Amino acid sequence: MSENWIPVSELEAIPDDDVIGVAVNGHQIALYKVDGEVFATDNVCSHGQALLSDGFLEDGEIECPLHQGRFCIKSGKAMCDPLTEDIRTYTTRVEGEEVMLLLD
Amino acid sequence: MSNDTRIPLQPVWDQPDTSRIPFKVYTDEQTHQQELEKLFYRNHWCYVGLEAEIPEPGDFKRTVIGERSVIMVRDNEGMINVVENVCAHRGMRFCRKKHGNAKELVCPYHQWNYDLKGNLQGVPFRRGVKQDGEVKGGMPKDFKPAEHGLTQLRVAQRGGVVFASFDENVEPFEEFIGPQMLHYFDRLFNGRKLKLLGYNKQRIPGNWKLMQENIKDPYHPGLLHTWFVTFGLWRADNRSELKMDEHHRHAAMISTRGQGGKNAQTTNVSSFKEEMKLNDPRFLDVEVEPWWNGPTAVMMTVFPSVILQQQVNSVSTRHIQPNGHDSFDFVWTHFGFEDDTPEMTERRLRQANLFGPAGFVSADDGEVIEFSQEGFEQKPFHRSLAELGGREIEETDHMVSETLIRGMYEYWRKQMEV
Repeated sequence: MSENWIPVSELEAIPDDDVIGVAVNGHQIALYKVDGEVFATDNVCSHGQALLSDGFLEDGEIECPLHQGRFCIKSGKAMCDPLTEDIRTYTTRVEGEEVMLLLD
Repeated sequence: MSNDTRIPLQPVWDQPDTSRIPFKVYTDEQTHQQELEKLFYRNHWCYVGLEAEIPEPGDFKRTVIGERSVIMVRDNEGMINVVENVCAHRGMRFCRKKHGNAKELVCPYHQWNYDLKGNLQGVPFRRGVKQDGEVKGGMPKDFKPAEHGLTQLRVAQRGGVVFASFDENVEPFEEFIGPQMLHYFDRLFNGRKLKLLGYNKQRIPGNWKLMQENIKDPYHPGLLHTWFVTFGLWRADNRSELKMDEHHRHAAMISTRGQGGKNAQTTNVSSFKEEMKLNDPRFLDVEVEPWWNGPTAVMMTVFPSVILQQQVNSVSTRHIQPNGHDSFDFVWTHFGFEDDTPEMTERRLRQANLFGPAGFVSADDGEVIEFSQEGFEQKPFHRSLAELGGREIEETDHMVSETLIRGMYEYWRKQMEV
């Protein structure tokens, strides 16, 4: 099975140390840029109905705007209450000016 | 009392003792508000439920203390918490379900979100919204979620029963009940796990104190409840005792049923109708249980909120939930014990037909309380009599006394400072 790399954003569209939301084949994906490195997770919080890209990125964790639950952007791990479920993470790579995301 | 028929502003006690009770204590809304404050919200432990009602983490039950809505909830560590059902944000009574299981408590209005202990976890848009590269709105920087949880009540558990108090400084539960009454409390709740059997609920249009008085009044059962007499469950000559705690606020009516039947005396109460038979005699298929240690009925009033009932094999709690001076909800929780045989569970359920809003016996009490309230409302300057057995307050070894009612009002007057 060939790997399914999909271009999802221009690198410069993601502000430094911040987050944006994109839609990829119907999936809501959050893209983060920390020290020039790009990370990706599901964008919909596993707790309430909110987009993590409306939240706040600090110390490698994204805080949901709704109930202040925090996820690790590298592992997707739920770091505190009221979260009980992790979110999914995705592998990314940068090709020139393009951010590519691996979907399976 | 004098012939004065003007309606007083406050209840007037025309005796030094409490053998005459002004109707005004049942009809005055201001008195009622003071009672809620002084008797339900301060100084007292109020009943909230049974541990068996919320066996699993996240299980909750919505109930009340006085007229305040509260939630009894088991947290993830298995501890029981009681929190006030009022959102810390805009004050909404947010929990609408009677029972349920939840991971968290959420007010739907703005989704303020609390853990199962009532601590505030999440405030939507606490840090504002991001717009055009800027963050706008949100709570002030100095907002501290730790200061905005739900009101957390003090909780006491004994023998599987849960009480709570809004009063931080309330005395320990065991002292509140007192050693005399604790003996009867522990007789019923002796450590066996309780098994929930079901509920009855009724709204009685009368003052809540009338229900406490009803269970402190051993004069009426053999007279009002002709069913009791007819079928031999209550007779005025039953071996019986009336006991109180030292404050006279809680009480127990303890009785041991005679053998009944045509050879027994029914002593001036009512004739025993030999020809009357139950269609289904299993209602009185009583089996003596070892834990009774004798008494076939112990009716215990825990002031102000609950009655603990053992009437032969039927055991229940009866929760008094006032709504206004002239109405209360009366919620019966029928239970059994985990080691009951299926036959005993069936027996307890059958005997529960004596009680509840349509019970063979208890239907009478709901009506007389309603009609008493009607009498008080039309003649609010008058007073009732509670002089049976004298004007003193003392424990007795018979049932022909209103001493427990006098005791309760002695305590009431002290607490209400009237």
